[in-house]
Amino acid sequence: MSELPLFPTTTVGSFPKPPYLLEARRKWLRGQIEPEALRELERQATREWIQRQEELGLDVLVDGEMYRGDMVAYFADELEGFAIAGLVRSYGNRYYPKPVVTGPVGRKRPITVDWFRFAQSLTGKPVKGMLTGPYTIAEWSFNEYYPTRRELVMELARAIHEEAVDLERAGARFIQIDEPAIHTRPDEDFDLAREAMEIVTEGLSAYTITHVCYGDVPRIYPKMLDLPVHQIDLALKNEDFALLEVFRKHPFTKDIGLGVIDAHSHRVESPEEVLDGIRRSLAVFAPEQVYVSPDCGLKTRTTEEAVGKLRSMVEGARRAREELRSGTLAPR
Amino acid sequence: MRTTHVGSYPKIPDLPAPGRWRTAAEKLQRGEITREEFRRVEDEVTREAIADQVEAGLDMVTDGQIRWEDGQTYFARRMSGFSINGLQRWFDTNVYYRQPVAEGPVAWREAITVEDYRFARAHSPKPVRPVVTGPYTLARLSQNRYYRSFGEFVLALARALNQELHALDAEAPPLVQVDEPAILHHREDLPLFREATAALLEGVRSPVALYTYFGDARGLLSAFAEMPFHAVGLDFVAGPRNWEVLEAEGFPADRRLGFGILDARNTRLETVDEVLRALDRLSRVVSLDRVDLGPSAGLEFLPRRAARAKLVRLAEVKRAALEVTR
Repeated sequence: MSELPLFPTTTVGSFPKPPYLLEARRKWLRGQIEPEALRELERQATREWIQRQEELGLDVLVDGEMYRGDMVAYFADELEGFAIAGLVRSYGNRYYPKPVVTGPVGRKRPITVDWFRFAQSLTGKPVKGMLTGPYTIAEWSFNEYYPTRRELVMELARAIHEEAVDLERAGARFIQIDEPAIHTRPDEDFDLAREAMEIVTEGLSAYTITHVCYGDVPRIYPKMLDLPVHQIDLALKNEDFALLEVFRKHPFTKDIGLGVIDAHSHRVESPEEVLDGIRRSLAVFAPEQVYVSPDCGLKTRTTEEAVGKLRSMVEGARRAREELRSGTLAPR
Repeated sequence: MRTTHVGSYPKIPDLPAPGRWRTAAEKLQRGEITREEFRRVEDEVTREAIADQVEAGLDMVTDGQIRWEDGQTYFARRMSGFSINGLQRWFDTNVYYRQPVAEGPVAWREAITVEDYRFARAHSPKPVRPVVTGPYTLARLSQNRYYRSFGEFVLALARALNQELHALDAEAPPLVQVDEPAILHHREDLPLFREATAALLEGVRSPVALYTYFGDARGLLSAFAEMPFHAVGLDFVAGPRNWEVLEAEGFPADRRLGFGILDARNTRLETVDEVLRALDRLSRVVSLDRVDLGPSAGLEFLPRRAARAKLVRLAEVKRAALEVTR
């Protein structure tokens, strides 16, 4: 990835949907709008986000997931073997549609490939292929079919692998496989999640990333470094970089997707704050290891908040680059 | 044998019915309705939760914990000494709670569950069991920035929650359920747990049930049975080893067993036969008239339709079991 600058800037995947798309999705649920009309609005919103990312100066883009509701339900809808059971509360008044596995799971056809092609056709910058990992899909679904969680996870891993291979064939040089549920049962299930990731990334030549957020990251560290990916993207900002202490004890041997922006607060961070976060991180990472990113997907923010946060992120990364070049960037 | 619910119930109905609680919670956040108006919505949803349990045919119900954001902050927000921090995963579930932080001495300030219990009792033709998060679990899921040791923190919470149980005593509930799932993951803390239980139950007149879930009571069950609990609840779904534990350690004849056998966390509905077979196995160790048949945990992990189906299944199993023994 020689054309990327130092501290490449990227995002975790989702962006807020514009009001016209939210309205169209509501109509679609009530059967008041044709699927093709909804598609067209999703394409429009995707174009807008690609353009915004280019204007902001991000280095590795995403399609923004305008066509996805939930990161698990989207794949469950497209895969064989799933039904949607209903809404389940995750916290406060946040609910998510929880799928249920009712038969053998598998891929009917490519899922995200057309969207990837479309987004990539709009920009000269690389666009990431974005997938949800098998362990997370299994963990965030009810299982009425497979006798064990292992069987379900392994079968899903094969389906997601096929999708990753198709993304690569379509030209994706970056493929991200999100596993936010990976530390749900850190002792019992980590090896299962790792084996599943081995299946997903097997034989790929693309640069692979996994995103993990919330939960007890220290519990799966350093074994997390055994995940067969090039980069692990983590939320550092929302716990004020407390994870750095953990990485100090055992060196972080992968590239890091450094979460420097809190995805769940309304407050727009300043470029200085981002710069400060990067400085602090260089106490444990080499500059070449660091990709700069928000903690998580930004879909729960307003467009203004998301754009403001990303503007500060890009500017903070630019200043970090400058300081490093002029020799004034000192790890804190 | 009694059929009973043991905790939470989904706050919103299945689509396309409108999720009134969810809409009201959003409006409350935006300041468009008052606390009082929100409470009236909670009242209605609580009545729905109770009605579902009663119509399913349960012998004992809960209020569905509709007013609980989670099992920790419901208590910590009403006690002194706590601030409330960011989101944490609740055990190995995909449910998150806001983490209480002990910033100073924690103390009971006012009755927490009593008013909700009164409301539920007034709207239920069946006996209601109030639920209290136990001191050990509350401490484990909180952050301690004040006490010199975890043990001191647990004991301070035990004394505070003892006052809550005394406040409930005045209402003479048929049973108070104390939830202590965290002890299953920290068996080494049994001596501390014993001490905390003594403080928690001191002078309490109501029968108290100790409920555990998300694991098995290996190395703990005999000790639980010696503590002055009226009943002990075990999860036989997430803790299948509870079978061996129960068969090896036995169960005292003067205690009730909370038999958590329907999977509260999966939509797959157990067949009546499957549960009857489990009851048959159980009956070799525990007399069935001392069994409280229930789900393995609270039912808010499920969409409402699936939760209701589990409740109905409990009552069906009981009917079938009575026919078998008749």
